[in-house]
Amino acid sequence: MSDFKGLTEAVIKGDIQTAVAETQTALDAGANLQDILDKGLIAAMDQVGEKFSTGQMFVPQMLRSAKTMQECMKLIKPLFQEDELATKGKVVIGTVRQDLHDIGKNLVAMMMEGAGFAITDLGVDVSPKDFTQKAQEVGADIVAMSALLSTTMPAMRETIEALQEAGIRDKVKVMIGGAPVTENFASEIKADSYAPDAGSAVIAAKKLLSIS
Amino acid sequence: MESLEIPTFQPRLRVLNREQALAIHGAALEILEKTGFKMEHPRALKMLADRDCEISDGDWVRMPPHLVEEALKSAPKQISLYDQKGAKAIDLTGENSFYGTGSDATFTRDVETGERRRAVLKDVGNFATLVDGLENIDFAMSMANPEDVPIDDIYVYVFAEMVKNTTKPIVFIADSGRDIAKIHEIASSVVRGEEELQRKPFILNYSEAISPLRFPENVMEKLIFCAQKQIPLCLPSGSNAGGGAPVTLAGAMALGIAENLVGLVVHQLAGKGSPFLFGPNVSALDMRSSVVCYGCPEWSLTQAALADMRDEIYGLPIWAFAGASDSKVVDAQAGAEAMFSIITALLSRANLIHDVGFLEYGSTSSLEMITMANELIAMSRFYVKGIPVNDGTLALEAIERVGRGGPGSIFLMDDHTYDHFMEALFLPKLLDRSRYDAWKDESAMDLYKRCNMETKRILFEHEVAPKADVVLKEIEHILKRT
Ligand code: B12
Repeated sequence: MSDFKGLTEAVIKGDIQTAVAETQTALDAGANLQDILDKGLIAAMDQVGEKFSTGQMFVPQMLRSAKTMQECMKLIKPLFQEDELATKGKVVIGTVRQDLHDIGKNLVAMMMEGAGFAITDLGVDVSPKDFTQKAQEVGADIVAMSALLSTTMPAMRETIEALQEAGIRDKVKVMIGGAPVTENFASEIKADSYAPDAGSAVIAAKKLLSIS
Repeated sequence: MESLEIPTFQPRLRVLNREQALAIHGAALEILEKTGFKMEHPRALKMLADRDCEISDGDWVRMPPHLVEEALKSAPKQISLYDQKGAKAIDLTGENSFYGTGSDATFTRDVETGERRRAVLKDVGNFATLVDGLENIDFAMSMANPEDVPIDDIYVYVFAEMVKNTTKPIVFIADSGRDIAKIHEIASSVVRGEEELQRKPFILNYSEAISPLRFPENVMEKLIFCAQKQIPLCLPSGSNAGGGAPVTLAGAMALGIAENLVGLVVHQLAGKGSPFLFGPNVSALDMRSSVVCYGCPEWSLTQAALADMRDEIYGLPIWAFAGASDSKVVDAQAGAEAMFSIITALLSRANLIHDVGFLEYGSTSSLEMITMANELIAMSRFYVKGIPVNDGTLALEAIERVGRGGPGSIFLMDDHTYDHFMEALFLPKLLDRSRYDAWKDESAMDLYKRCNMETKRILFEHEVAPKADVVLKEIEHILKRT
């Protein structure tokens, strides 16, 4: 069975009940787990991202779709053997030191999770050391930092330096964002990528890891 | 004939009835009593624990309503701000409204090139000078987060720059107990002494708690500092509908008010009778772009509602916003959004109204936007004065004179017109009413261009009363120490 139309539609609609039932039906019919994930859930979230960025969907609708996907994942995840579940990549995300703004960061984390990334959210006021340690611990592919204050932007540079010192700078890609952050600033501190909003953060992350 | 003495009704907007106001207030008290909040400042936590609050999980606090009642009783109903020469400038009480700029924008629109660029310290000086030169802008905020000063002392530098460029009252930001002490030192130096500053404050601190329901240590440090030094303060929390708070405006207000009440209680425990300006910032998160808006009707509506709650319940002067926009440039959208918030703030009698001059949801500042707002405020103030009705304004004699004056008799020629036109009519300076040909001959300028020229004129011509040499020396000294 390769048709996940019902599931995809339910995720796009944010209809949790139907989506979970569709997932169960697919499982019962013996569908491939990775297929349910890739061709059902993630394919749906890709469409959600597309609809959102073209103004056909609002933020709460997009987040409801992400939540719907998470509920479906609860059924699928336990069936995967450890390490077998192919995520798009591991992301360690947080708001930088002394910065307590978290709404934008949370939105970015939700969207990336919806797109199939495995997220470790360190919260707010995250020191360069904590970013580095966590990145090492989980074997992160991406370190994503948020700053809403121009006074906390330098902490982004320091975090990149800390990654360097820990010898893992070449193993992780660094993404940054937040209202005062610009493309220029990103290249100045040698971050790998910048995105102005949550939708483009997903696109940028995929590009960084060369996935579609 | 007896002369007419009729009190003038001044147009006034109401958005809540008493039941609604009480219900929102009740919800705020319930949030504090049942849900509680996170107090990360050890001394504030202890103060609350000593006063019947229930503490769990280390720093989670539940607060009984009677503490709120007490704090509302002890906080002054009136706050006066003075200019830097000691003259009363802002009397925050009852229905008085005052406008000022905003703080901390990352970028600014360059007045020469129109380009959007990072703000520098010089911009802070320019904004303060412009505020000083505009008759309807009553207080200054920094308008910029400059990139060319040491970050650890950014708020000290910014404050010093404002002091050097305006005599008007200043609403300032600080990071923690450390830099606020230096700012206090500079302010004391300006008025030659801490007692004088306490007696006639020209400063008010703007700090923020974190929605939802979080009170960080550095924020409470500033609050306690202000309470003890009697520096007026406000503590909105960013309970924006759909962002830091529920998407429904009543719930967002209840949360923001609850957070404000926590601030007020700790503040009054730390310095009974110290001045506290009430009010959350309840804007809305845009559901397409996810920006928190500075030009939306929601913010204007919630602050009008808060004004009603002030009148029904709190009695404390309130904090508000106006004259800002989400547009990226000073265009028709910027004008429309600025006017919407300016007139409604005045119609609802908000007291201290900030953020005049913000573009791009608070990320970019614009000098021209302030110059334009100055005119829009004048227009709004004219409107809110209402229509005085008395013998002089009914002008029956003039009507008799002109009506019976025969051919050629016109009101424009009558003495009554000459005597009254200045206050009877609104006389715009920048809004264009010229005849078509005149407009075309004046290079067909739009409002933005006229504001740009007027801004440059003020920056060039306006003279700010200079500070005494001793004061300047002391400021340099304090900055060097930082
Ligand atoms: C809400 C808010 C608050 C709330 C935050 C509540 C919370 N739980 O987060 C509170 C009230 C606590 C707050 C406090 C302060 N704030 Co504030 N705040 C805002 C406000 C109004 C909205 C921010 C927001 O939540 N937007 C909604 C989210 C969804 O958007 P976003 O954060 O921009 O995120 C999007 C993108 O930027 C991007 N993105 C974000 N992170 C990341 C990360 C990555 C990796 C990527 C790729 C993308 C990305 O994607 C997101 C989603 O699309 C802004 C002004 C504004 N309109 O932006 C000021 C603003 C950011 N704050 C400001 C200031 C100055 C402060 C205070 C210092 C004020 C004070 N006097 O105390 C304190 C500092 C507290 C601290 N230490 O952090 C200034 C910053 C100026 C500057 N240049 O430094 C601003 C710009 C307002 C202003 N003009 O003065 N604030």
